[in-house]
Amino acid sequence: MRWLALIWKSLMRSKRRTLLIVGSLVLSVFTVAVLQSLLTTLDAATNNPRSSNRFVVRHKSGLTQMLPRSYENYLRQQSEVETVCALQWFGGYYQDPRNFFANFASDETTLFQIFREEFGASNITEAQIKDYLRDGTGCIVGESLAKKNGWKVGDVVPLTGTIFPINPRLTIRLIFKSPKLSDENALHFHYKVLEEGVPRMKGLCGSFWVRARRPEDIPRLLERVDRHYANSAYETLTETENAFNLGFVKMLGNIGAIIQGITIAVVIAILIVTGNTMATAIRERTTEIAVFRAMGFSAGRVLSLLLAEGVLLVGVGGFLGVALANFAAGGVRGSLGMAMPFFADFSIQPETALACLAGALAIGILATFIPAYAATRRPITEGLKAVG
Amino acid sequence: MNAADRFDLGGGEPVITLRDVAKSYWREDLEIPVLQGIDLEIPVGAYIALMGPSGSGKTTLLNLVAGIDRPTGGSLEVCGYDLNDLDDDQLASWRNAHVGFIFQNYNLVPVLNAFENVELPLLLTGAGRGERRDRVEQALSLVNLTDRMRNYPRQLSGGQEQRVAIARAIVTDPDLLVADEPTGALDAKNAEEVLALMARLNTELGKTIVMVTHDPKAAHHARHQIHLEKGVLDRTVEVNR
Repeated sequence: MRWLALIWKSLMRSKRRTLLIVGSLVLSVFTVAVLQSLLTTLDAATNNPRSSNRFVVRHKSGLTQMLPRSYENYLRQQSEVETVCALQWFGGYYQDPRNFFANFASDETTLFQIFREEFGASNITEAQIKDYLRDGTGCIVGESLAKKNGWKVGDVVPLTGTIFPINPRLTIRLIFKSPKLSDENALHFHYKVLEEGVPRMKGLCGSFWVRARRPEDIPRLLERVDRHYANSAYETLTETENAFNLGFVKMLGNIGAIIQGITIAVVIAILIVTGNTMATAIRERTTEIAVFRAMGFSAGRVLSLLLAEGVLLVGVGGFLGVALANFAAGGVRGSLGMAMPFFADFSIQPETALACLAGALAIGILATFIPAYAATRRPITEGLKAVG
Repeated sequence: MNAADRFDLGGGEPVITLRDVAKSYWREDLEIPVLQGIDLEIPVGAYIALMGPSGSGKTTLLNLVAGIDRPTGGSLEVCGYDLNDLDDDQLASWRNAHVGFIFQNYNLVPVLNAFENVELPLLLTGAGRGERRDRVEQALSLVNLTDRMRNYPRQLSGGQEQRVAIARAIVTDPDLLVADEPTGALDAKNAEEVLALMARLNTELGKTIVMVTHDPKAAHHARHQIHLEKGVLDRTVEVNR
C-alpha cells in the first residue's frame, strides 16, 4: 500500500457522499469555467488587437437607419484614411430559418483591404479575388461555414432574405480562413446585389468600415466625421470597431457584473458544501484519527493526509468540471456560434481552466484545513473515547 | 514497607519506571486528581493486568505509559526514554517504534483489508515494500490469519478483528504492548483465544504487556495484577498458574 492508495481508500469510504460532492464540484467548476470563458470571449470581441486601424461610421439613431453612400467620398478625402468599405447586414438564411449565420452585402472592391489582417491567414491569390470581383452574383464564405454546410468553390448558395425582400442565389468564388472563428462563420456578397434587388437601398448603406493609415489618427477622425455631419439629415455616430462591437455586448445588459455575481455565489455555495462535507467526514473519523496518532502518525502527518484527501477530491471534481466545460464549448461554438458571431470564438481558455482548477484546490484546502486541524489538535485520549 | 517492596514485580531491567507520577484534569477551575504519587517499576518481559473499579485511574495510567497522555507531575521513563523530554512529534515516533496498541473495539480502519491494516504502522518506518510485505505476513501468520489477509474488517468475526489488531500492534516489533480491555467486546471463546495469543507474545516473544481489564479471567492470564484504588496503587498480586 502506498500513501496515495491510503488517501484514495479513505476518500472512497462513503462512495455515495464522495460521488455527490464530486458531482457538485463538477457542476460548480463547469458553471464558473463557462461563465468566465464567456466573459473572456466577449472581452476578446471588444478588444480585437487586429482592428486598431479600423473604425465604423453609422447613423446616429441606430443601425436600422441608413446613411447615404455619398458619405464614402468625404471619408476617402481625409488624408489619414486609407480606404472605406460600405457594409450592410443582410440577415438571410440558407434553406432553413434555423440555419442562420452572419451574411453581409459589402463593397467587394475594398473588403479585402479593410480586413486584410483577417483575410491574411488565407493565402488568397489575386486570381481568386478577381474571380470574385468578376462574378456579380459571387460570394465569399469562411472555411468554418463552408465546412458546416459542405460547400465548395463553385457551389450555388440560395439565401432567403429576412430583412430585405430578395432571395439572392450566390456562387461561391472563394473560401477564406481567419484567425477568429467568428469571422469564418460569415458570408459576403457584392453590395450591388442589394442595391439592385432592393430599390430603397439604392445609394444607401448601413455602415462604413474605414481603415485609417495609422491608429493614432483615429481619435481625431472620429471627432471630425461626426462634427462634419452634425445637424445634417443623416447625422453619424463614428466609433472604433471595438467600441462598435462593445455596443452589441452592452445590449445583453451588464453581463460582466451578472457573471461575476453568479461566480461569487457559486464559489461561496461550493465552499460551504465542501466544508460541511469534509467536516462531517472528519468528525466521523475522530476515533480513527486518534488510532493513527497512537500508532505513531504525528499530528502534522495526519493533517497532511486529510488535506491530501480534500485536495484530491476537489482536484478530481475540478478536472472533470473543466473537461466538461471544454466539451460543452464545442457545442456552443457549433450552435450559438452561427447565430451570434461572438460565440463562434467561445472556448475555455487555458488561463481560465487553470484559474478554475486553482480555485477548486484552494476551496479544497480551505474547506478541509479547519476541521482537519481541529481533529489533529484533539488529545488522542479524547479521540479514543469518542463514539465513531 | 516502601513502594518497591509493595510492588515488587520480580527482577530484571525495568522497561517502565514511574516516579511520583500524578495526573489531574481540570474542569473549569476545579482540579480533579486522577492519579497521585505513582511509583512503579515494571521489568522487561512482564505481563501486567491493571485492575480496579471504574474511575480508579487504570486507563489513565495505561495512557501515560503508552505515551498518548502526559503526566501533570513526576517522571516517566519507558523503553529507555524520559517521556517528559520528548515533544509531540518525538513522542509519536517513539510510540511507533516502541509501543503496540490493542483496543477494546479493535479500531481497525474499515476501508483497509487485514493486510493493509497491519501494514499501516510500517508506513512510518521507512521499510521498503518487500520488507513490509514480509513483516505483515509474519505478523498475520503469528495470529493465524494469513488466509484472511485480503478480507476487510466487516468480513471478519470480532475475534479475528482483534487478532488483526494484535498483528498490527506487533508488526513493528515494539518492546511494549498496551491493551485496554482487549476482550471487552468478545465472547468467552474468542476472548480466551485472544488472551492465549497475548500470553504467547509474552512468553515466546518476550513482549512486555500492560493490560487494563475488569475481567478477573482475563487478569488471570497476566503474571501480575496491579490494583488501583482512587488514583493510587493499592496492591500487587502475583498470579499463580
